[in-house]
Amino acid sequence: MNLKRVLAVASRERREIVRDRLFFTLAFVVPTALMIIFGFGLSFDVENVPLAIVDYDGSAMSRDYTYQYTTSRYFDFQGMVRDERDLVPLITDKNVRAAIVIPEKFQENLLAGRPVSVQTLIDGAFPFRAQTIKGYVMGINSAYSAGLLADYLAQKKGMSRERALEMLQPLTLEVRHLYNQGLESDWSMAPKLIGFLLMVCPPLLTALGVVREKETGAIYNIYSSTITRAEYLTGKLTPYVVVSALNSLILWAIAIKVFDAPFKGAPLFFLAASILYVVCTTGIGLMVSVLVETQVAATLVTFITTVIPAVLYSGMLVPVASLDRAAQTVAHMLPAMYYTDIVLGCFLKGVGPRVLWKDVVVLAFYAAALFATGYFMFRKRPNA
Amino acid sequence: MDESAVVTAGGAGGRPAPGAVVRIRGILKSYKGQAAVRGVDLDVAPGEIYGLIGPDGAGKSSVMKAVAGVLAHDAGTLEVLGKVVDSEGSAERIKVDIGFMPQGLGQNLYPELSVEENIDFFARSRLVPREQIRERKDRLLAMTRLAAFRDRPMKNLSGGMKQKLGLVCTLIHEPRLVILDEPTTGVDPVSRRDFWSILTQLLRERGITALISTAYMDEASRFHRLSLFFGGKVIASGTPDELTALAPGAVVTLRCGAQAMAMERLREHFPQVEARGELLRVFVRNATDEEAAQRALEVLNGMDATVLYTGVAELEDVFIARLSDLGLAAEEGAGGEAEGAAKPGAAPILNAREANEDVAIEAKGLVRAFGEFRAVDDVSFRVPQGEIFGLLGANGAGKTTVIKMLVGLLPPTGGRGMVAGRDMRRAPREIKEHIGYMSQVFSLYGDLTVTENIRLYAGIYGLGKNESRERVQWVLHMADLEGMERKPASSLPVGVRQRLALGCALVHRPRILFLDEPTSGVDPVGRRRFWDILFQLSKRDKVAILITTHYMSEAEHCDHLALMYAGRIVADSTPERMKRELEEEAGRLLEIHTDNPLSALSLLEGAGFEGAALHGNNVHVLARDLEEAERRARQSLSSGGVRVLSVSGQPLGMEDVFVYRVLALEKEEKR
Repeated sequence: MNLKRVLAVASRERREIVRDRLFFTLAFVVPTALMIIFGFGLSFDVENVPLAIVDYDGSAMSRDYTYQYTTSRYFDFQGMVRDERDLVPLITDKNVRAAIVIPEKFQENLLAGRPVSVQTLIDGAFPFRAQTIKGYVMGINSAYSAGLLADYLAQKKGMSRERALEMLQPLTLEVRHLYNQGLESDWSMAPKLIGFLLMVCPPLLTALGVVREKETGAIYNIYSSTITRAEYLTGKLTPYVVVSALNSLILWAIAIKVFDAPFKGAPLFFLAASILYVVCTTGIGLMVSVLVETQVAATLVTFITTVIPAVLYSGMLVPVASLDRAAQTVAHMLPAMYYTDIVLGCFLKGVGPRVLWKDVVVLAFYAAALFATGYFMFRKRPNA
Repeated sequence: MDESAVVTAGGAGGRPAPGAVVRIRGILKSYKGQAAVRGVDLDVAPGEIYGLIGPDGAGKSSVMKAVAGVLAHDAGTLEVLGKVVDSEGSAERIKVDIGFMPQGLGQNLYPELSVEENIDFFARSRLVPREQIRERKDRLLAMTRLAAFRDRPMKNLSGGMKQKLGLVCTLIHEPRLVILDEPTTGVDPVSRRDFWSILTQLLRERGITALISTAYMDEASRFHRLSLFFGGKVIASGTPDELTALAPGAVVTLRCGAQAMAMERLREHFPQVEARGELLRVFVRNATDEEAAQRALEVLNGMDATVLYTGVAELEDVFIARLSDLGLAAEEGAGGEAEGAAKPGAAPILNAREANEDVAIEAKGLVRAFGEFRAVDDVSFRVPQGEIFGLLGANGAGKTTVIKMLVGLLPPTGGRGMVAGRDMRRAPREIKEHIGYMSQVFSLYGDLTVTENIRLYAGIYGLGKNESRERVQWVLHMADLEGMERKPASSLPVGVRQRLALGCALVHRPRILFLDEPTSGVDPVGRRRFWDILFQLSKRDKVAILITTHYMSEAEHCDHLALMYAGRIVADSTPERMKRELEEEAGRLLEIHTDNPLSALSLLEGAGFEGAALHGNNVHVLARDLEEAERRARQSLSSGGVRVLSVSGQPLGMEDVFVYRVLALEKEEKR
């Protein structure tokens, strides 16, 4: 390996990345932009659900019941509606996602000890969201029911309302969420997005960089020269690894500064692991580039081979442990999952190499295997 | 075809010294089952400039890549610089001494890098020491006159400059063998000449051997020896003279009142007849000049014919003669009539809607600016009905932009384009239906069959069922596509495909036809057939044809020519008159054959012969008084110790006209 030739290739590549507007955008602007867009867009917190209420009773109690919803931070109260029939256009046309319908004689029946059923309408177009809203409504409703019962008990037994409530719920559950007390979706999503973007962007950049040379014919400069395969690949790919390593720092900063994600681990370990990961994903780009001949094909193949695993099998949306057995096997065969472990470990759990070394070893193995395959498949005297 | 059929002219195959730089025996190469190279033998001697000439897809590129060690061949032996190349490992060993420039003008360079950075990259990747990089770079940049553009990004260079930069990059490590794949394709004639003179000088100085391919037959004289490629095979090799001698005979150029009829009659006796403007050109084989003229006149007995001049055959004539000698069909389905007869008398007239307006196309001061850059700058011309009007120029000269403005695809920045007396931008549909347009890009649907393609175009132009059926038959017949109706368009050879595209452009019987580089990449036989059809259309059916081309040799087929350079028209006349005017102004071409071409060149330049150029072993100069010039040349050469072997006068070509006009224009601008 002659370092001068490696440097010649690397410095030329660096100049092209920096000067070519398209490549520069792809290298630096796109990952940052996607981080911001996905970071704000991919939130799983269901809050401020637009809510409308129909109150046919109009009593003190029904108003009190209504109050429970309108003051909740989970709902964004849009106003009272006179008639049930007016709700439908609100849900279909306007942005109302949930509605509560309080029947006539609400107060009368309750005071008489007769059961009352309140209707709730929830937009079911997004099942995950609907489930969460249903949970909110049930929670508020049962708290109000328990309150009514406690009032009754307190009145009958002559005890305080608090005491009555305790007696009604002898067993209470104290939940403490570890690592993410507030269950802030951003805290976990922003770090995982780093893994996603570093899985998608470096291979695309790399594959386009190599295939572009094939398309123009500039690759023949390499084929017909004395540069060895190892020298070319090292020189060609080093700038891409450096660009991606810089990106991992930028994305890390965005996760912390913009999305307020906590970083509890060791920054140096995280940086080292991230570089290993981008070497690995750059290797994916190399693999794609030796297999295809055009930039269009490179873009397509890279997207298919990176986006799907990065979304489905990385633990970004659904934890790997919750996948079915077949999907879990697939996830274990792909590198994204291991980096998700590292990211969550470093950001939220504050653990270091002692716990995460296995993930690092797997990534190193991937990087080595991808580069070795790419090296052996790259030919300076190809068949076509 | 058996092995013995490939005759190597003058026993050239055995001539190269044992130290051949390239030695190829029976090389085969196919891509996905498609044979591209089918048994090629080739020897290149040290210091030679060896040419590979042939149409697109003849196998030139594959052979060159194999020699450069960047493509694995399937079978046969290949020796480069004394080393056998048969594996990736063995190929690596020759690369120290090789410079390879792939096809595509400047495509292998790095657009974002400056001229200097490009050169530096090539030099550094070849481990040229720093001192030497600087020294060589200075020398090469000075020689190519690129020194003033050191810091300019490569993407902002002109075509000719890109090509020269590519050459510098290929030569920076001083290879012993350079392999240049179509370095002159698409470059304007001025830059092309410049390129050749720089190249020959560099190669001579350093004793470098070169293997160069080209699609232009008229570049043959630039080579010491060359091989004609066709269909993956070499159909002839030797020196340019040896090749011409392969098909002995004379070319007769004559004028005849009833041109079309005369052409038909001549065709019955001579296979190679073509129309050039209002003249006819007949290749009479195995005849001296006088015999040839006499035989041609005999055939035309009773017709008012006059012979204008007779001369030696061009390489293109030889190429076509050679193909028919070897019994090689130029195109699939063309059978034995590879001579290019467009079925005389068979093509029914376009139901000619009466052609009453005289001027079919008129450009009045057309301008098209893209920002600061003027792609088309004050272009004016007129094309009457029934004329073939050629727009000649390099890639980027503005030809396509002119056509696009005329057919209404692109609004002009200034001036007007009139077709059939109407401004095309505001023309009603009826007028637009009178024109046919064949664009530069592949306009057929590759997955549709020949008939389906024609039917599709008939449908687009709204032809009725019966009419459409009739027109399909007409197109099949006119373009000689019978028997290929069910083939997908993508499977056709380039020449046939272009005829089909022409047929599609004619399906609605237009009276005005725009053709943008229709013959690019087509072999000489295919090109002649194409021109035959155009001749019929213009002369018999009075269709006005505006055609663009970058083949200078094709220009002679046109009735009228306009030479375009950098967006402007630099000459506008008939081909004959253009050449005659140049002869009056600058004189004729003198070809001087000596025993030492390089010193001959510098001696002649010293003796005041402007524009002296090296063509293979010969030097070409322009001279007004041939005898006086010959005397002067012989004198200065013999005083310089160079032996003169022969001196002869040569007719001027369109390229000479083009170069002369452009240089004159540039000189005027500098003043």
